[in-house]
Amino acid sequence: MATHNVESEVTGSVWKVQVEVGDSVSEGDVILILESMKMEIPVESPADGTVAELRVQPEEAVEEDQVVAVIQS
Amino acid sequence: MSWAEEVEELKRRRELAKQQGGPEGIAKQHGYGRMTIRERIHTLLDEGSFQEQGKATAVPDYDDDDNFLGFVPANYVLGFGRIDDRRVVVGGEDFTLKGGSPNAAGLRKSIYAEHLAIQYKIPLVRMLEGGGGSVKSSGKRGGSSGGDSVFSEPRFKVIADAMGEVPVVSMAGGAVAGFPAGRMAASHFSVMSADTAQILVAGPKVVERALGVDMTKDELGGAHIHAKSGVVDNVAENETEALMQSRRFLSYLPSSVYQRTPRYPCEDNPERMEEELLDVVPRDSRSVFNMRTVIEMIVDLGSFFEMGKDFGRSQIVGLARIDGQPVGILANNNRVYAGAMTAEAAQKYRRFVELCDTFHVPVVNFIDQPGFMIGPEAEKKGTIRYGMAAVAAAAQATMPWCAIQVHKGFGVATAAHYAPNAYVLAWPSVESGALPLEGGVAVAFHREIEAADDPVAKRTEIEERLRSARSPFPRAESFGVHELIDPRETRPTLCQWIDWIQPQLDELKGPVSFSMRP
Repeated sequence: MATHNVESEVTGSVWKVQVEVGDSVSEGDVILILESMKMEIPVESPADGTVAELRVQPEEAVEEDQVVAVIQS
Repeated sequence: MSWAEEVEELKRRRELAKQQGGPEGIAKQHGYGRMTIRERIHTLLDEGSFQEQGKATAVPDYDDDDNFLGFVPANYVLGFGRIDDRRVVVGGEDFTLKGGSPNAAGLRKSIYAEHLAIQYKIPLVRMLEGGGGSVKSSGKRGGSSGGDSVFSEPRFKVIADAMGEVPVVSMAGGAVAGFPAGRMAASHFSVMSADTAQILVAGPKVVERALGVDMTKDELGGAHIHAKSGVVDNVAENETEALMQSRRFLSYLPSSVYQRTPRYPCEDNPERMEEELLDVVPRDSRSVFNMRTVIEMIVDLGSFFEMGKDFGRSQIVGLARIDGQPVGILANNNRVYAGAMTAEAAQKYRRFVELCDTFHVPVVNFIDQPGFMIGPEAEKKGTIRYGMAAVAAAAQATMPWCAIQVHKGFGVATAAHYAPNAYVLAWPSVESGALPLEGGVAVAFHREIEAADDPVAKRTEIEERLRSARSPFPRAESFGVHELIDPRETRPTLCQWIDWIQPQLDELKGPVSFSMRP
Protein backbone atom coordinates (compact mmCIF):
# COMPACT_ATOMS: atom_id res chain seq x y z
CA MET A 1 0.00 0.00 0.00
CA ALA A 2 1.37 3.33 -0.99
CA THR A 3 -0.11 6.65 -0.03
CA HIS A 4 0.00 9.62 -2.36
CA ASN A 5 -0.60 13.16 -1.20
CA VAL A 6 -2.73 15.25 -3.51
CA GLU A 7 -1.36 18.78 -3.39
CA SER A 8 -2.80 22.04 -4.60
CA GLU A 9 -0.62 23.76 -7.19
CA VAL A 10 -2.09 27.16 -6.35
CA THR A 11 -3.51 29.38 -3.65
CA GLY A 12 -7.28 29.64 -4.00
CA SER A 13 -10.54 28.31 -2.59
CA VAL A 14 -12.31 24.98 -2.96
CA TRP A 15 -15.20 25.24 -5.38
CA LYS A 16 -16.41 21.64 -5.79
CA VAL A 17 -15.31 18.31 -4.40
CA GLN A 18 -15.83 15.67 -7.08
CA VAL A 19 -15.20 12.45 -5.13
CA GLU A 20 -16.02 10.86 -1.78
CA VAL A 21 -13.83 8.94 0.63
CA GLY A 22 -13.72 5.32 -0.52
CA ASP A 23 -14.18 6.13 -4.24
CA SER A 24 -11.74 4.46 -6.56
CA VAL A 25 -9.92 6.83 -8.88
CA SER A 26 -7.50 6.61 -11.78
CA GLU A 27 -4.42 8.75 -12.32
CA GLY A 28 -5.53 12.08 -13.77
CA ASP A 29 -9.09 11.90 -12.41
CA VAL A 30 -10.34 15.17 -10.97
CA ILE A 31 -10.49 15.04 -7.16
CA LEU A 32 -11.74 18.57 -6.64
CA ILE A 33 -11.96 21.90 -8.40
CA LEU A 34 -10.42 25.03 -6.97
CA GLU A 35 -11.19 28.58 -7.84
CA SER A 36 -8.14 30.79 -8.25
CA MET A 37 -7.64 33.96 -10.29
CA LYS A 38 -11.20 33.54 -11.62
CA MET A 39 -10.33 30.18 -13.14
CA GLU A 40 -11.59 26.73 -12.29
CA ILE A 41 -8.49 24.68 -11.56
CA PRO A 42 -8.90 20.91 -11.44
CA VAL A 43 -6.79 19.05 -8.88
CA GLU A 44 -6.05 15.60 -10.24
CA SER A 45 -5.17 12.28 -8.67
CA PRO A 46 -1.45 11.53 -8.93
CA ALA A 47 -2.10 7.75 -9.05
CA ASP A 48 -4.63 4.95 -9.46
CA GLY A 49 -6.15 4.03 -6.10
CA THR A 50 -8.80 4.80 -3.51
CA VAL A 51 -9.62 8.11 -1.89
CA ALA A 52 -8.45 7.65 1.70
CA GLU A 53 -8.87 11.19 2.99
CA LEU A 54 -10.42 14.46 1.91
CA ARG A 55 -8.93 17.28 3.93
CA VAL A 56 -10.89 20.26 2.61
CA GLN A 57 -14.50 21.38 2.21
CA PRO A 58 -16.12 23.57 -0.43
CA GLU A 59 -15.39 27.27 0.06
CA GLU A 60 -12.36 26.53 2.22
CA ALA A 61 -9.20 28.47 1.39
CA VAL A 62 -6.17 26.44 0.32
CA GLU A 63 -2.53 27.37 -0.10
CA GLU A 64 0.10 26.39 -2.63
CA ASP A 65 1.48 22.88 -1.92
CA GLN A 66 -1.24 22.18 0.69
CA VAL A 67 -2.30 18.53 0.89
CA VAL A 68 -6.00 18.49 0.02
CA ALA A 69 -6.57 14.73 -0.22
CA VAL A 70 -4.78 11.41 0.21
CA ILE A 71 -4.98 8.53 -2.24
CA GLN A 72 -4.10 4.96 -1.31
CA SER A 73 -2.95 2.51 -3.94
CA MET B 1 71.51 10.49 -27.79
CA SER B 2 67.84 10.35 -28.44
CA TRP B 3 65.10 11.53 -26.11
CA ALA B 4 63.73 8.03 -25.69
CA GLU B 5 64.19 8.08 -21.95
CA GLU B 6 62.10 11.23 -21.47
CA VAL B 7 59.49 9.98 -23.88
CA GLU B 8 59.18 6.76 -21.88
CA GLU B 9 58.85 8.79 -18.70
CA LEU B 10 56.20 10.99 -20.30
CA LYS B 11 54.19 7.93 -21.27
CA ARG B 12 54.42 6.63 -17.73
CA ARG B 13 53.25 9.92 -16.29
CA ARG B 14 50.29 10.12 -18.64
CA GLU B 15 49.27 6.64 -17.52
CA LEU B 16 49.66 7.65 -13.88
CA ALA B 17 47.42 10.67 -14.41
CA LYS B 18 44.61 8.41 -15.64
CA GLN B 19 44.71 6.44 -12.39
CA GLN B 20 42.68 9.23 -10.74
CA GLY B 21 42.28 8.43 -7.03
CA GLY B 22 43.45 4.86 -7.59
CA PRO B 23 41.33 1.70 -7.48
CA GLU B 24 40.18 2.54 -3.95
CA GLY B 25 39.07 6.07 -4.77
CA ILE B 26 37.24 4.86 -7.86
CA ALA B 27 35.57 1.98 -5.99
CA LYS B 28 34.40 4.42 -3.34
CA GLN B 29 32.88 6.71 -6.00
CA HIS B 30 31.11 3.76 -7.60
CA GLY B 31 29.96 2.65 -4.14
CA TYR B 32 28.01 5.92 -3.89
CA GLY B 33 26.39 5.07 -7.22
CA ARG B 34 28.24 7.86 -9.01
CA MET B 35 30.37 7.96 -12.14
CA THR B 36 33.97 9.17 -12.10
CA ILE B 37 34.75 12.31 -14.08
CA ARG B 38 36.34 10.25 -16.87
CA GLU B 39 33.19 8.10 -17.10
CA ARG B 40 31.04 11.24 -17.27
CA ILE B 41 33.16 12.63 -20.09
CA HIS B 42 33.02 9.30 -21.93
CA THR B 43 29.20 9.18 -21.58
CA LEU B 44 28.72 12.77 -22.70
CA LEU B 45 30.92 12.89 -25.77
CA ASP B 46 30.73 11.27 -29.19
CA GLU B 47 32.59 7.95 -29.04
CA GLY B 48 36.37 8.35 -28.92
CA SER B 49 36.34 12.13 -29.40
CA PHE B 50 37.96 13.24 -26.12
CA GLN B 51 41.23 15.14 -26.51
CA GLU B 52 42.57 15.87 -23.05
CA GLN B 53 44.38 19.10 -22.25
CA GLY B 54 47.26 18.87 -19.77
CA LYS B 55 47.52 15.08 -19.75
CA ALA B 56 50.47 15.06 -17.35
CA THR B 57 49.35 17.87 -15.07
CA ALA B 58 49.90 16.82 -11.49
CA VAL B 59 51.23 17.60 -8.07
CA PRO B 60 54.61 15.80 -8.10
CA ASP B 61 56.43 14.23 -5.20
CA TYR B 62 60.26 14.17 -5.06
CA ASP B 63 62.63 12.80 -2.43
CA ASP B 64 65.51 14.84 -0.94
CA ASP B 65 67.77 13.87 -3.81
CA ASP B 66 65.27 15.15 -6.36
CA ASN B 67 64.25 11.66 -7.44
CA PHE B 68 60.71 11.53 -8.75
CA LEU B 69 58.62 9.36 -6.45
CA GLY B 70 55.26 9.70 -8.10
CA PHE B 71 52.55 12.21 -8.34
CA VAL B 72 48.97 13.05 -7.54
CA PRO B 73 47.09 13.79 -10.77
CA ALA B 74 45.40 17.15 -11.15
CA ASN B 75 41.91 16.61 -9.81
CA TYR B 76 40.27 18.53 -12.60
CA VAL B 77 40.03 16.86 -16.02
CA LEU B 78 39.79 19.16 -19.01
CA GLY B 79 39.75 18.80 -22.76
CA PHE B 80 38.06 19.03 -26.14
CA GLY B 81 35.51 16.61 -27.49
CA ARG B 82 32.57 16.39 -29.84
CA ILE B 83 28.81 16.36 -29.32
CA ASP B 84 26.81 15.44 -32.44
CA ASP B 85 30.04 16.08 -34.30
CA ARG B 86 30.39 19.67 -33.05
CA ARG B 87 33.43 20.53 -30.94
CA VAL B 88 32.99 21.45 -27.26
CA VAL B 89 35.15 21.99 -24.18
CA VAL B 90 34.46 19.64 -21.27
CA GLY B 91 35.77 19.74 -17.74
CA GLY B 92 35.02 18.58 -14.26
CA GLU B 93 36.39 17.87 -10.79
CA ASP B 94 37.78 14.45 -10.00
CA PHE B 95 35.97 13.58 -6.79
CA THR B 96 38.10 10.47 -6.27
CA LEU B 97 40.97 12.79 -5.32
CA LYS B 98 40.58 15.07 -2.31
CA GLY B 99 36.79 15.10 -2.72
CA GLY B 100 37.19 17.32 -5.76
CA SER B 101 38.59 20.18 -3.65
CA PRO B 102 41.15 21.53 -6.10
CA ASN B 103 44.79 20.62 -5.68
CA ALA B 104 47.23 23.14 -7.13
CA ALA B 105 47.27 21.53 -10.57
CA GLY B 106 43.52 20.95 -10.61
CA LEU B 107 42.84 24.57 -9.75
CA ARG B 108 44.87 25.84 -12.71
CA LYS B 109 42.90 23.67 -15.08
CA SER B 110 39.49 24.46 -13.62
CA ILE B 111 40.09 28.18 -13.93
CA TYR B 112 41.22 27.66 -17.51
CA ALA B 113 38.04 25.91 -18.72
CA GLU B 114 36.11 29.12 -19.48
CA HIS B 115 39.14 30.74 -21.12
CA LEU B 116 39.50 27.76 -23.40
CA ALA B 117 35.85 27.84 -24.50
CA ILE B 118 35.95 31.59 -25.16
CA GLN B 119 39.26 31.40 -27.05
CA TYR B 120 38.17 28.57 -29.34
CA LYS B 121 34.57 29.88 -29.58
CA ILE B 122 32.89 26.61 -28.67
CA PRO B 123 30.42 25.53 -25.96
CA LEU B 124 31.54 24.58 -22.46
CA VAL B 125 30.08 21.64 -20.56
CA ARG B 126 30.99 21.45 -16.89
CA MET B 127 30.46 18.25 -14.94
CA LEU B 128 30.54 19.47 -11.38
CA GLU B 129 31.16 17.66 -8.13
CA GLY B 130 32.90 19.00 -5.07
CA GLY B 131 33.03 21.69 -2.47
CA GLY B 132 35.52 24.18 -3.86
CA GLY B 133 38.29 25.48 -1.62
CA SER B 134 39.19 24.14 1.80
CA VAL B 135 40.49 25.93 4.89
CA LYS B 136 43.16 23.24 5.07
CA SER B 137 44.84 24.64 1.97
CA SER B 138 44.26 28.29 2.84
CA GLY B 139 45.55 27.85 6.37
CA LYS B 140 49.08 26.75 5.48
CA ARG B 141 51.75 29.16 6.57
CA GLY B 142 53.78 30.59 3.76
CA GLY B 143 51.69 28.75 1.22
CA SER B 144 48.85 30.21 -0.76
CA SER B 145 47.24 31.64 2.36
CA GLY B 146 47.31 35.17 1.03
CA GLY B 147 45.05 34.29 -1.90
CA ASP B 148 45.31 35.79 -5.37
CA SER B 149 47.53 38.78 -6.05
CA VAL B 150 45.97 42.24 -6.24
CA PHE B 151 46.62 42.45 -9.97
CA SER B 152 45.06 39.10 -10.85
CA GLU B 153 41.71 39.23 -12.61
CA PRO B 154 38.69 38.43 -10.41
CA ARG B 155 38.13 34.73 -10.87
CA PHE B 156 34.46 35.12 -11.56
CA LYS B 157 34.95 37.59 -14.43
CA VAL B 158 35.67 34.96 -17.05
CA ILE B 159 32.72 32.91 -15.79
CA ALA B 160 30.42 35.89 -16.33
CA ASP B 161 32.08 36.77 -19.67
CA ALA B 162 31.63 33.22 -20.97
CA MET B 163 27.85 33.61 -20.69
CA GLY B 164 27.93 36.33 -23.32
CA GLU B 165 30.18 34.37 -25.71
CA VAL B 166 29.52 30.62 -25.79
CA PRO B 167 26.81 28.21 -24.59
CA VAL B 168 27.59 27.12 -21.02
CA VAL B 169 26.04 23.96 -19.59
CA SER B 170 26.53 22.66 -16.06
CA MET B 171 25.67 19.20 -14.85
CA ALA B 172 25.77 18.21 -11.17
CA GLY B 173 26.65 14.56 -10.63
CA GLY B 174 27.29 14.65 -6.89
CA ALA B 175 27.26 17.19 -4.09
CA VAL B 176 28.18 20.62 -5.45
CA ALA B 177 28.90 23.36 -2.93
CA GLY B 178 30.66 26.68 -2.62
CA PHE B 179 32.41 27.99 -5.73
CA PRO B 180 31.31 25.06 -7.93
CA ALA B 181 27.70 25.80 -6.90
CA GLY B 182 28.29 29.31 -8.21
CA ARG B 183 29.48 27.84 -11.51
CA MET B 184 26.36 25.69 -11.59
CA ALA B 185 24.12 28.75 -11.39
CA ALA B 186 26.21 30.70 -13.89
CA SER B 187 25.07 28.62 -16.86
CA HIS B 188 22.70 28.83 -19.76
CA PHE B 189 21.42 25.40 -18.85
CA SER B 190 21.91 23.46 -15.63
CA VAL B 191 20.76 19.98 -14.79
CA MET B 192 21.18 17.83 -11.69
CA SER B 193 20.95 14.09 -11.30
CA ALA B 194 18.09 13.36 -8.87
CA ASP B 195 19.59 10.24 -7.35
CA THR B 196 23.14 11.47 -6.75
CA ALA B 197 23.38 15.28 -6.68
CA GLN B 198 22.87 18.08 -4.23
CA ILE B 199 23.58 21.77 -4.68
CA LEU B 200 24.45 23.84 -1.66
CA VAL B 201 25.92 27.21 -0.87
CA ALA B 202 27.31 25.47 2.19
CA GLY B 203 27.01 21.90 3.43
CA PRO B 204 25.44 20.49 6.61
CA LYS B 205 28.44 21.00 8.91
CA VAL B 206 28.77 24.67 8.03
CA VAL B 207 25.02 25.20 8.36
CA GLU B 208 24.90 23.44 11.71
CA ARG B 209 27.77 25.59 13.03
CA ALA B 210 26.26 28.86 11.83
CA LEU B 211 22.55 28.35 12.32
CA GLY B 212 22.22 25.39 14.66
CA VAL B 213 20.09 23.62 12.05
CA ASP B 214 20.74 19.91 11.69
CA MET B 215 19.89 18.79 8.15
CA THR B 216 21.31 16.35 5.62
CA LYS B 217 22.78 17.64 2.37
CA ASP B 218 19.81 16.17 0.53
CA GLU B 219 17.32 17.99 2.77
CA LEU B 220 19.25 21.21 2.21
CA GLY B 221 19.89 21.04 -1.50
CA GLY B 222 18.47 17.88 -3.07
CA ALA B 223 16.59 17.71 -6.34
CA HIS B 224 13.20 18.22 -4.64
CA ILE B 225 14.44 21.61 -3.38
CA HIS B 226 16.08 22.88 -6.55
CA ALA B 227 13.43 21.78 -9.03
CA LYS B 228 11.31 24.45 -7.36
CA SER B 229 14.01 26.97 -6.32
CA GLY B 230 15.04 27.71 -9.90
CA VAL B 231 18.73 27.09 -9.11
CA VAL B 232 18.77 24.35 -11.74
CA ASP B 233 16.76 24.32 -14.92
CA ASN B 234 16.10 20.61 -15.01
CA VAL B 235 16.21 17.56 -12.80
CA ALA B 236 17.21 14.30 -14.50
CA GLU B 237 16.55 10.83 -13.11
CA ASN B 238 20.24 9.93 -13.07
CA GLU B 239 23.64 11.05 -14.33
CA THR B 240 23.30 9.49 -17.76
CA GLU B 241 20.00 11.28 -18.39
CA ALA B 242 21.51 14.54 -17.11
CA LEU B 243 24.34 14.19 -19.63
CA MET B 244 21.89 13.36 -22.44
CA GLN B 245 19.86 16.48 -21.59
CA SER B 246 23.08 18.51 -21.80
CA ARG B 247 23.72 17.16 -25.30
CA ARG B 248 20.15 17.88 -26.35
CA PHE B 249 20.19 21.46 -25.06
CA LEU B 250 23.28 22.28 -27.12
CA SER B 251 21.67 21.02 -30.33
CA TYR B 252 19.40 24.10 -30.40
CA LEU B 253 22.22 26.64 -30.16
CA PRO B 254 25.10 27.83 -32.30
CA SER B 255 28.62 27.04 -31.02
CA SER B 256 29.16 30.68 -30.08
CA VAL B 257 27.50 34.07 -30.46
CA TYR B 258 29.62 34.58 -33.59
CA GLN B 259 27.75 31.90 -35.53
CA ARG B 260 24.14 31.95 -36.66
CA THR B 261 21.66 29.56 -35.06
CA PRO B 262 21.80 26.16 -36.71
CA ARG B 263 19.03 24.83 -38.92
CA TYR B 264 18.28 21.15 -39.45
CA PRO B 265 16.40 19.18 -42.09
CA CYS B 266 12.76 18.89 -41.02
CA GLU B 267 11.06 15.51 -41.01
CA ASP B 268 7.68 16.91 -40.03
CA ASN B 269 5.21 18.33 -42.55
CA PRO B 270 5.28 22.16 -42.52
CA GLU B 271 1.63 22.18 -43.68
CA ARG B 272 0.43 19.92 -40.86
CA MET B 273 -2.80 21.29 -39.33
CA GLU B 274 -4.17 19.70 -36.16
CA GLU B 275 -7.99 19.66 -35.99
CA GLU B 276 -7.90 19.70 -32.21
CA LEU B 277 -6.58 23.28 -32.23
CA LEU B 278 -9.97 24.56 -33.38
CA ASP B 279 -11.62 23.91 -30.03
CA VAL B 280 -8.68 23.68 -27.65
CA VAL B 281 -9.37 27.07 -26.03
CA PRO B 282 -12.69 26.81 -24.15
CA ARG B 283 -15.31 29.48 -24.89
CA ASP B 284 -15.89 29.73 -21.15
CA SER B 285 -12.90 31.76 -20.02
CA ARG B 286 -13.04 30.21 -16.53
CA SER B 287 -12.12 26.79 -17.89
CA VAL B 288 -8.54 25.64 -18.23
CA PHE B 289 -6.78 24.00 -21.17
CA ASN B 290 -3.41 22.37 -21.64
CA MET B 291 -0.97 24.82 -23.22
CA ARG B 292 1.79 22.18 -23.43
CA THR B 293 -0.24 20.08 -25.84
CA VAL B 294 -0.89 23.22 -27.92
CA ILE B 295 2.87 23.75 -28.24
CA GLU B 296 3.47 20.11 -29.11
CA MET B 297 0.81 20.15 -31.82
CA ILE B 298 2.42 23.15 -33.53
CA VAL B 299 6.21 22.69 -33.33
CA ASP B 300 8.11 19.92 -35.19
CA LEU B 301 6.96 16.61 -33.69
CA GLY B 302 8.96 15.62 -30.62
CA SER B 303 11.18 18.70 -30.73
CA PHE B 304 9.95 20.53 -27.60
CA PHE B 305 12.57 20.57 -24.81
CA GLU B 306 11.06 22.19 -21.73
CA MET B 307 13.26 23.90 -19.15
CA GLY B 308 12.46 24.69 -15.51
CA LYS B 309 8.99 23.13 -15.44
CA ASP B 310 8.53 23.31 -11.65
CA PHE B 311 9.84 26.85 -11.08
CA GLY B 312 7.59 29.80 -11.89
CA ARG B 313 5.03 27.28 -13.11
CA SER B 314 2.61 29.82 -14.59
CA GLN B 315 5.22 30.42 -17.33
CA ILE B 316 6.37 27.71 -19.74
CA VAL B 317 9.77 28.09 -21.44
CA GLY B 318 11.71 25.72 -23.65
CA LEU B 319 13.45 25.14 -26.94
CA ALA B 320 11.88 23.54 -29.99
CA ARG B 321 12.22 23.42 -33.77
CA ILE B 322 9.86 24.77 -36.39
CA ASP B 323 10.56 23.57 -39.92
CA GLY B 324 13.97 22.50 -38.59
CA GLN B 325 14.79 25.94 -37.18
CA PRO B 326 15.56 25.98 -33.44
CA VAL B 327 13.31 28.49 -31.67
CA GLY B 328 12.70 29.61 -28.10
CA ILE B 329 9.18 28.87 -26.92
CA LEU B 330 7.41 31.06 -24.37
CA ALA B 331 3.88 30.18 -23.29
CA ASN B 332 1.59 30.86 -20.36
CA ASN B 333 0.18 28.04 -18.30
CA ASN B 334 -3.43 28.92 -17.46
CA ARG B 335 -3.64 26.07 -14.93
CA VAL B 336 -1.41 28.00 -12.51
CA TYR B 337 -2.82 31.38 -11.50
CA ALA B 338 -4.46 31.68 -14.91
CA GLY B 339 -0.94 32.11 -16.34
CA ALA B 340 -0.28 35.31 -14.36
CA MET B 341 3.30 36.52 -14.18
CA THR B 342 4.53 35.80 -10.65
CA ALA B 343 7.91 36.99 -9.35
CA GLU B 344 9.37 33.53 -10.11
CA ALA B 345 7.77 33.32 -13.56
CA ALA B 346 9.19 36.75 -14.36
CA GLN B 347 12.74 35.66 -13.43
CA LYS B 348 12.37 32.56 -15.54
CA TYR B 349 11.04 34.63 -18.43
CA ARG B 350 13.81 37.24 -18.22
CA ARG B 351 16.59 34.64 -18.16
CA PHE B 352 15.12 32.72 -21.08
CA VAL B 353 14.66 35.82 -23.24
CA GLU B 354 18.27 36.79 -22.49
CA LEU B 355 19.42 33.29 -23.44
CA CYS B 356 17.63 33.49 -26.80
CA ASP B 357 18.83 37.04 -27.41
CA THR B 358 22.46 36.13 -26.63
CA PHE B 359 22.47 33.33 -29.21
CA HIS B 360 20.10 35.01 -31.68
CA VAL B 361 17.51 32.25 -31.38
CA PRO B 362 14.11 33.39 -32.70
CA VAL B 363 11.24 33.33 -30.21
CA VAL B 364 7.65 32.17 -30.55
CA ASN B 365 5.42 33.35 -27.72
CA PHE B 366 1.98 31.85 -27.02
CA ILE B 367 0.18 34.50 -24.98
CA ASP B 368 -2.54 33.75 -22.43
CA GLN B 369 -1.92 35.94 -19.42
CA PRO B 370 -4.29 37.99 -17.24
CA GLY B 371 -1.37 40.19 -16.10
CA PHE B 372 1.08 40.26 -13.23
CA MET B 373 0.13 38.12 -10.24
CA ILE B 374 -1.86 40.15 -7.73
CA GLY B 375 -2.58 39.85 -4.02
CA PRO B 376 -0.69 40.15 -0.73
CA GLU B 377 1.88 37.42 -1.40
CA ALA B 378 2.67 38.79 -4.84
CA GLU B 379 3.22 42.30 -3.47
CA LYS B 380 5.55 41.00 -0.74
CA LYS B 381 7.61 39.16 -3.32
CA GLY B 382 8.22 42.34 -5.33
CA THR B 383 6.47 40.99 -8.41
CA ILE B 384 6.40 44.28 -10.30
CA ARG B 385 10.20 44.67 -10.11
CA TYR B 386 10.96 41.19 -11.49
CA GLY B 387 8.11 41.69 -13.92
CA MET B 388 9.57 44.90 -15.29
CA ALA B 389 12.96 43.21 -15.68
CA ALA B 390 11.14 40.68 -17.88
CA VAL B 391 9.43 43.48 -19.82
CA ALA B 392 12.79 45.24 -20.33
CA ALA B 393 14.45 42.05 -21.58
CA ALA B 394 11.77 41.64 -24.24
CA ALA B 395 11.66 45.34 -25.13
CA GLN B 396 15.40 45.40 -25.85
CA ALA B 397 15.60 41.98 -27.50
CA THR B 398 17.10 41.88 -30.98
CA MET B 399 16.10 38.47 -32.37
CA PRO B 400 13.09 37.78 -34.60
CA TRP B 401 9.98 37.33 -32.45
CA CYS B 402 6.53 36.01 -33.19
CA ALA B 403 3.70 36.68 -30.72
CA ILE B 404 0.57 34.57 -30.91
CA GLN B 405 -2.37 35.97 -28.99
CA VAL B 406 -4.02 32.74 -27.93
CA HIS B 407 -6.41 33.89 -25.24
CA LYS B 408 -5.95 36.53 -22.53
CA GLY B 409 -3.57 39.45 -22.69
CA PHE B 410 -4.13 42.14 -20.11
CA GLY B 411 -2.38 44.94 -18.31
CA VAL B 412 1.25 45.99 -18.06
CA ALA B 413 2.54 42.40 -18.07
CA THR B 414 1.36 42.06 -21.67
CA ALA B 415 4.19 44.37 -22.67
CA ALA B 416 6.62 41.58 -21.81
CA HIS B 417 5.32 39.51 -24.67
CA TYR B 418 6.40 41.69 -27.55
CA ALA B 419 9.90 42.43 -28.77
CA PRO B 420 10.44 45.27 -31.27
CA ASN B 421 9.17 44.40 -34.76
CA ALA B 422 7.31 41.33 -33.54
CA TYR B 423 5.20 39.42 -36.03
CA VAL B 424 1.79 39.35 -34.34
CA LEU B 425 -0.83 36.69 -34.90
CA ALA B 426 -4.14 36.30 -33.07
CA TRP B 427 -6.55 33.44 -32.63
CA PRO B 428 -10.30 34.18 -32.59
CA SER B 429 -10.26 33.30 -28.86
CA VAL B 430 -8.17 36.39 -28.04
CA GLU B 431 -9.28 38.71 -25.19
CA SER B 432 -7.27 41.77 -24.28
CA GLY B 433 -7.38 45.19 -22.71
CA ALA B 434 -6.17 47.21 -19.74
CA LEU B 435 -7.51 44.67 -17.28
CA PRO B 436 -9.71 41.55 -17.34
CA LEU B 437 -13.40 42.20 -17.66
CA GLU B 438 -14.47 41.00 -14.21
CA GLY B 439 -12.03 43.14 -12.23
CA GLY B 440 -12.45 46.00 -14.69
CA VAL B 441 -16.23 46.10 -14.29
CA ALA B 442 -15.93 46.09 -10.50
CA VAL B 443 -13.73 49.19 -10.70
CA ALA B 444 -15.25 51.17 -13.57
CA PHE B 445 -18.91 50.64 -12.68
CA HIS B 446 -18.64 50.62 -8.90
CA ARG B 447 -21.16 53.48 -8.34
CA GLU B 448 -23.76 51.92 -10.59
CA ILE B 449 -23.25 48.52 -8.96
CA GLU B 450 -23.47 49.87 -5.40
CA ALA B 451 -26.64 51.83 -6.20
CA ALA B 452 -28.45 48.78 -7.56
CA ASP B 453 -30.97 46.83 -5.49
CA ASP B 454 -29.05 43.64 -6.19
CA PRO B 455 -25.38 44.65 -6.67
CA VAL B 456 -24.19 41.15 -7.58
CA ALA B 457 -26.85 40.76 -10.26
CA LYS B 458 -26.04 44.22 -11.59
CA ARG B 459 -22.34 43.42 -11.81
CA THR B 460 -23.03 40.14 -13.61
CA GLU B 461 -25.38 41.92 -16.00
CA ILE B 462 -22.74 44.50 -16.94
CA GLU B 463 -20.08 41.81 -17.31
CA GLU B 464 -22.33 39.79 -19.61
CA ARG B 465 -23.25 42.84 -21.69
CA LEU B 466 -19.59 43.74 -22.27
CA ARG B 467 -18.56 40.14 -22.85
CA SER B 468 -21.12 39.66 -25.63
CA ALA B 469 -19.90 42.84 -27.31
CA ARG B 470 -16.41 41.35 -27.62
CA SER B 471 -15.15 40.44 -31.03
CA PRO B 472 -11.77 39.50 -32.40
CA PHE B 473 -12.42 41.21 -35.76
CA PRO B 474 -11.65 44.87 -34.94
CA ARG B 475 -8.00 44.04 -34.31
CA ALA B 476 -7.73 42.55 -37.80
CA GLU B 477 -9.63 45.51 -39.36
CA SER B 478 -7.37 48.06 -37.70
CA PHE B 479 -4.15 46.14 -38.52
CA GLY B 480 -3.66 45.79 -34.75
CA VAL B 481 -2.34 42.33 -35.54
CA HIS B 482 -0.64 41.11 -38.68
CA GLU B 483 -3.15 38.31 -39.10
CA LEU B 484 -6.15 36.90 -37.32
CA ILE B 485 -5.79 33.18 -38.03
CA ASP B 486 -7.60 29.89 -37.75
CA PRO B 487 -5.72 28.17 -34.90
CA ARG B 488 -5.19 25.17 -37.21
CA GLU B 489 -3.19 27.41 -39.57
CA THR B 490 -0.66 28.24 -36.85
CA ARG B 491 2.01 25.73 -37.90
CA PRO B 492 1.93 26.52 -41.63
CA THR B 493 1.95 30.26 -40.81
CA LEU B 494 4.93 29.87 -38.47
CA CYS B 495 6.84 27.75 -41.00
CA GLN B 496 6.36 30.54 -43.53
CA TRP B 497 7.64 33.09 -41.01
CA ILE B 498 10.69 30.89 -40.31
CA ASP B 499 11.48 31.13 -44.01
CA TRP B 500 11.08 34.93 -43.99
CA ILE B 501 13.51 35.43 -41.10
CA GLN B 502 16.41 33.42 -42.56
CA PRO B 503 18.25 36.47 -43.97
CA GLN B 504 17.97 38.17 -40.55
CA LEU B 505 19.39 35.09 -38.82
CA ASP B 506 22.29 35.05 -41.31
CA GLU B 507 23.16 38.61 -40.29
CA LEU B 508 22.49 38.42 -36.55
CA LYS B 509 25.90 37.52 -35.16
CA GLY B 510 28.22 38.68 -32.44
CA PRO B 511 27.75 39.73 -28.82
CA VAL B 512 24.56 41.53 -27.81
CA SER B 513 24.73 44.67 -25.68
CA PHE B 514 23.17 42.88 -22.72
CA SER B 515 23.73 39.14 -22.60
CA MET B 516 22.56 36.73 -19.95
CA ARG B 517 23.34 36.97 -16.27
CA PRO B 518 22.88 34.14 -13.79
